[in-house]
Amino acid sequence: MSPSPSSLSRRTLLAATGAVGAAALAACSDLTPGASSAEKSSSGPVSTAVPADEKITLVVADADDTTMTPGLIAAFRAKHPNITVKRQYTGWDDYLKSINTTMSADSAPDIAQFTSGMQNLVPGRLLLKVGEYGKAYGWAEKFPGLDQITLTPDGKTVGTGDLYGVGAGLSFEGVYYNKAKARKLGLTVPPATLEDLEALFAKAKAAGETALVAGNLDGGLNHPFNVLLSAYLTPKDREAWAFGHTSATIVLPEAEKAAETLQRWVDKGYVTPKVNGVSDNDATAAFAKGEGVFRISGNWAAAAVAKGLGEGAGYFNMPPVTAGGKVRTTGAGVYYCVSGKSKNAAAAAAFLDFAAGAKAAAITAKAGFMAPDAGAMPSQSGLLGDVQKGWQTVVKDAGLQPFIQNASSPTMGDTLTTQLQLLAGGKVTPEKFLAGLQTDFENYHK
Amino acid sequence: MTTADRLTEPAPAPRTARSAKRGAGPAVHRRPRTVRSGRRRRRAVALLYLLPALLPYTLFAVLPLLHTAYLSLFDWDGVTLPSFVGVDNYRRIGTDPQLRAAAWHAGALILFFSVLPICVGLVSAAIVSRRAGRRGTALVRTVLFLPQVIPLVAVGILWRWVYGEDGTLNQALRAVGLGGLTDAWLGSFTWALPAVGLIGTWVVSGLCMVLFLSGTQRIDQEIYEAARMDGAGPVREFTAITVPLLRPELAIALSITVIAALSSFDLIYITTGGGPGNSTVVPGILIYRLAFGGGAVGVASALAIVLTVVISLAVLVINRLSREAP
Repeated sequence: MSPSPSSLSRRTLLAATGAVGAAALAACSDLTPGASSAEKSSSGPVSTAVPADEKITLVVADADDTTMTPGLIAAFRAKHPNITVKRQYTGWDDYLKSINTTMSADSAPDIAQFTSGMQNLVPGRLLLKVGEYGKAYGWAEKFPGLDQITLTPDGKTVGTGDLYGVGAGLSFEGVYYNKAKARKLGLTVPPATLEDLEALFAKAKAAGETALVAGNLDGGLNHPFNVLLSAYLTPKDREAWAFGHTSATIVLPEAEKAAETLQRWVDKGYVTPKVNGVSDNDATAAFAKGEGVFRISGNWAAAAVAKGLGEGAGYFNMPPVTAGGKVRTTGAGVYYCVSGKSKNAAAAAAFLDFAAGAKAAAITAKAGFMAPDAGAMPSQSGLLGDVQKGWQTVVKDAGLQPFIQNASSPTMGDTLTTQLQLLAGGKVTPEKFLAGLQTDFENYHK
Repeated sequence: MTTADRLTEPAPAPRTARSAKRGAGPAVHRRPRTVRSGRRRRRAVALLYLLPALLPYTLFAVLPLLHTAYLSLFDWDGVTLPSFVGVDNYRRIGTDPQLRAAAWHAGALILFFSVLPICVGLVSAAIVSRRAGRRGTALVRTVLFLPQVIPLVAVGILWRWVYGEDGTLNQALRAVGLGGLTDAWLGSFTWALPAVGLIGTWVVSGLCMVLFLSGTQRIDQEIYEAARMDGAGPVREFTAITVPLLRPELAIALSITVIAALSSFDLIYITTGGGPGNSTVVPGILIYRLAFGGGAVGVASALAIVLTVVISLAVLVINRLSREAP
């Protein structure tokens, strides 16, 4: 750019700058860098052999705040000295918002923890179809709950289609309670039905206790709501909605019952007062410090609760609607998927398979998750033992159901939080609450 | 990273106007005419000096803005191939009730981010400048300005503790026997927005004060003396001299704070995330939710463009009004 100074007018210069800019813009690959890359899948010859003679680096992106993922990585490295595994940890909320961008980048991690919202990566072909590896390794027998990471090509429906990963550590929800207080108040646990549980709440409340410790500043009431839905809704309706089947609906009398129950718990003062102003983590912390009597949360909270209450911490599964009914609860897992851009798919698949082994089971169990290989989990005592026993019942009753906000639509997490705050604040009726959820669902599945 | 890019995008727009004006100064400088080509050459040289600033600015502010405008015409989930939808996204913005709520909240935040801080800033500046040199003044000035130094995320976390059920605010209320007034402020449908707004007031007031303080130093002391001779007290001095003569500073303060109010995101994201319900949702939160969680990059871009235009217009109006002769 060197015309003689006299001819270099302001206009020319601006034009030149503009041209440079436009060129730069055009050079930024595409203006809308949607994935138009060729289909990637493990349809070629796959093997379970991991190259042992070359140096391989795997990058694992996750939002797992337990010791599981780092533990698995360390054990995997010990087994395969030639494979270096780098971990990219991100906090849960930020992970949800950034993972799609991360996976779209050229420097995408090889392995990522699969979460809601990542469905969009499937039609973008940014996730590797691992079905062939699954067959080679025999994952169907090794991992429970693979349907939660089986997706249709448009990514909108879960449970059918291609396999995209495995669930390494499984989580599920139940009821924690403060043993000392239950004894003092003369509460008989475990309750046989939901109605009995509510009677216990009433008794605790009458004694001046917070019956159910909860925090809804960030939508933590989704835990009670999800398990109430599990209890009331038929598994078929629940899965159809949570897995995003076309024309599924949550505007059902059973779902309304679940929403009514939750609102009644808040209205009657069973739930932590001003629940919309307390965060979910603070609720767990308060319960572990000895506040309140019951807390509905997942097994990921077990370690914190056990640390706080020690021997005084108890656990039971969410009771069914009718006595003797099957136990149904909500749960998910730490699912690992493989990037469509990974150059080391075989090594990544080996890592996924490693998560099913007996060695991994010990690590997974220690982190408070349920291991895929339930038999290999070392038996535990105290609260973690109670949780483990609860898990065995859930598995026996085939009662593990997906979180409704996880798969139904990418925005459902925010929508559910908003609607639960409105429900707990008495700003919406249960019908309007469900209608609000359904609107979000239909906006996505139209 | 991209979050920050996207979210700060609307903000630079007004800065353009200012920096361009400032930058263009030497180029249009009137000089006695010599040869025509000489003037041209000087212009070109001036522009060359501008280039180091103009190029990164074009690359990192103008082009992303144009790119956002371009993206706003597509239906795009951020991953798969986008499809062109024209102005559909803008139409959707016009009809979304959640967006209308967000617009109202942003408007309400102007009260807390602009009006209140400017009032507080004016009064504190007047007091501090009258007490200049006396003991404790420097301390007061520092304390008032301190919130400006703390990152907004830290401010948000700090105030979450203050507003918590067992937070300092409730403790203070209980200590003075007003325990009945306590609330989980950030979880209250009535109080969440004012509570978040007051955090903004706390943050911005110090900045306003410092701006106004520098302004008062420019005001000739003789004017004050004359007023005092005429029997004006401190209040009269404030209303008749300080406030009118601070007009340029007021315009700057108003511009900065209105931008902060309309483009607010971080404080609200950290404290309430838009809740409870939708009672503190602002455009910034919606843009973030739509683009990064919801996979609706097109709509989010359209909203960002609308927000940018609204903010630019607001700043333009403020500048116009402040330029009028008093």
